[in-house]
Amino acid sequence: MTDYDSYRANARTWLQSIAGEFGREARRGLSEEQDLALGRRYLASRYEAGYGGIHLPVEFGGQGLSHVEKVIFETEEMGFGMPIVYFSISLGMPIPIIIRFVKDQAWVKERVVKALRGEEIWCQLFSEPAGGSDLAGLRTRAEPDGNGWKINGQKLWTSWAQYADYGIMVARTDPTVPKHQGLTYFWVDMRAPGIEVRPIKLADGGHDVNEVFLDDVRLEDLQRMSPVGGGFGVAMATLMIERYAATDSNGFGPSLDNLVELARGLDVNGRPALQDGRVRSAIARNHAMRAGLDSITARAMLAMQAGKEPGPEGALNKLFSVRSRQKLSEFAIDLQGMKGVSFDPDGLFTEDWTTSWIAAPTGRIAGGADEMLLNTIAEKILGLPQDHRPDKGVPFNQIPA
Amino acid sequence: MSFLYDDGQMAIATESRRVLDARMAKDRLLPLLEQVGQYDEPFWRTAIEQGWTGLAIPEEYGGLGLGLIELGLVAQATGAHTAGAPFLTAGYGAARGLLHGSDVSLKEEWLPKVASGEKIVTVAFADASVPMPPASSVRFENDRLWGAKSAVVAGQRADGALVWAQHGKEPALVLADLSQAVRKPVNSFDNSRLYADLVFDGTPARLVAEGDTARRIALETLSAMAVVTAHEQLGGAEELMTMARDYALTRKAFGQPIGGFQSVKHRIAELYGLVELARANGIHAAASDGQEHFLIAAADARISATEAYDTAARDCTQIHGGIGVTWEQGLHLHMRRARSLAIEQGNLLFWEDLLVEQITGVAA
Repeated sequence: MTDYDSYRANARTWLQSIAGEFGREARRGLSEEQDLALGRRYLASRYEAGYGGIHLPVEFGGQGLSHVEKVIFETEEMGFGMPIVYFSISLGMPIPIIIRFVKDQAWVKERVVKALRGEEIWCQLFSEPAGGSDLAGLRTRAEPDGNGWKINGQKLWTSWAQYADYGIMVARTDPTVPKHQGLTYFWVDMRAPGIEVRPIKLADGGHDVNEVFLDDVRLEDLQRMSPVGGGFGVAMATLMIERYAATDSNGFGPSLDNLVELARGLDVNGRPALQDGRVRSAIARNHAMRAGLDSITARAMLAMQAGKEPGPEGALNKLFSVRSRQKLSEFAIDLQGMKGVSFDPDGLFTEDWTTSWIAAPTGRIAGGADEMLLNTIAEKILGLPQDHRPDKGVPFNQIPA
Repeated sequence: MSFLYDDGQMAIATESRRVLDARMAKDRLLPLLEQVGQYDEPFWRTAIEQGWTGLAIPEEYGGLGLGLIELGLVAQATGAHTAGAPFLTAGYGAARGLLHGSDVSLKEEWLPKVASGEKIVTVAFADASVPMPPASSVRFENDRLWGAKSAVVAGQRADGALVWAQHGKEPALVLADLSQAVRKPVNSFDNSRLYADLVFDGTPARLVAEGDTARRIALETLSAMAVVTAHEQLGGAEELMTMARDYALTRKAFGQPIGGFQSVKHRIAELYGLVELARANGIHAAASDGQEHFLIAAADARISATEAYDTAARDCTQIHGGIGVTWEQGLHLHMRRARSLAIEQGNLLFWEDLLVEQITGVAA
């Protein structure tokens, strides 16, 4: 048994020992507030057990291990349905990025430990009505205000902002230069005067994303995390910093075993559904696709364990898994005939096909729309040209709105 | 299981690709398409010279004693060039079937000659449209065969064939002496595969295995060949993706390289995804040889490789526009090979059903 194998075995043992208290079954029927409170207690336990901030430096309260241990733990944890969703952004991007870009180390350490214990939550104030995929097109203004800054504008699709204590934010400090050059990166206190958070109800009924209005919000200059005009580089570093994360070839939807079990109880044309060629074809194609993604992930782990950089094909995971989950969810509903129209508002998207289906479009847009992922593959891996961009090199305030 | 190629395996990949880059020529392959009975002899000489014919045959029978991983890497290089005279995969399959049979004299007689390239053997499992029927219509009695097999790959040239037949009420795997079979060449869209209908009218044959053992060996042999073919398909798909990319970077229209248009670049990015899934499944399947889940891994590899090669053949041609459909440009070598390889070793319908039976226990 390698060190990694024993790390995995220990992690699994610990997860099993507390699954009854925090896992999927313990969460059933809880309100979101109750679930969040349970999540905070789970994170505290996780931190005490030595599984908080696995890859973060010891001097900031992390465990000082590598990305390999981090991904091993996350992969094991995924199977238990723990209440971690409220903290995924917080611990994924803002926390590692403040370690790298905020100078006051004592303050950073305090924030990191509180976030790892679930006592504080960070959000990421990037997307706006005029800038999602085109992040550098954002319009929120940061203007000098004495020895600090004054922020005005609106952010959109900000996950868990309604629970957030702090946020990282990109704002425009100079509209007279081309769009990428006029951005600056800050952290903000979400309780500062002038910040208003309004939850948005999504098509699936959930409201994990928000509009955030910023009205004359005052920031000190020590809240600036990039050179003035150098915010886009830190924003890119933010989006890259969670490159090594657990993946799920189910596209964060139900497993293929789940579909097989569903089909076992159903008939098509008076015959068992599993004997129907169309059902068999759907199962087989999805099995092959998911097995391919699993093998890509397994080889990436082996590469990391050998101290090598994993191949670029890891970029395929989200694109292929979520897109196919959407179609398979449609198929699973169809398969049930009229029984397929029922809907359980408390269904989990990892076990219920209808919940999976109605939430799937979000998965294909959030964290990089399919089209942007294809652009990234085409440009960064295959060396194909960037799209024609009419706003390239044009001062931001001269780009037609 | 998955793994990372070691240095020796990487050397096989690089060297086989280098040799074929230097020796293969599209201009030599194109005329073969219109001639029944011809195949690319220079490639076959190269395969023998490089030891590919014996690569995965045990050393005690004159081979190199390597396995599916290494043979897969060679197949990938041949696939990129639409090389692969029909004998490489079928010869490996027949040898593997013989190896798992119990007749030692049969192994001693044939395997060293297959390894050296002196004898050509193929595999004839399918009955008409059924890749591996529960009971074959070909009958084996008193060391002789009666019946017919359609469009057997390499059937025009092979000296022997491992045949899926019926012995009374039991299935049987037998090695038929094709010098005493009637060969009817099939005019095909991919003629260098040397397809022939084989008619057995009392053709001498020797028993390799029968009953459940025969069924197990046949299915395992077919799976191993499917994994080799999946690598060949992967090599073809990857080559087409690269050609599409290169063409999209050089061909200009509306004032820019066509690869700057999302409709084109996304199509190529999708191909990249299919190629990498096929590669990942191919590696996993090759490394799963001999393990309990081998059939499942082989089916996954076969399905994703077929999808990758078919899609790449369609889309690469589409991206080339008019030039892509000309005889001279030769993309149709891949288009044709994508289809012939999609059928050899069992079509997608067969593999989808086999996979689902393996994972659910429910037969079609």
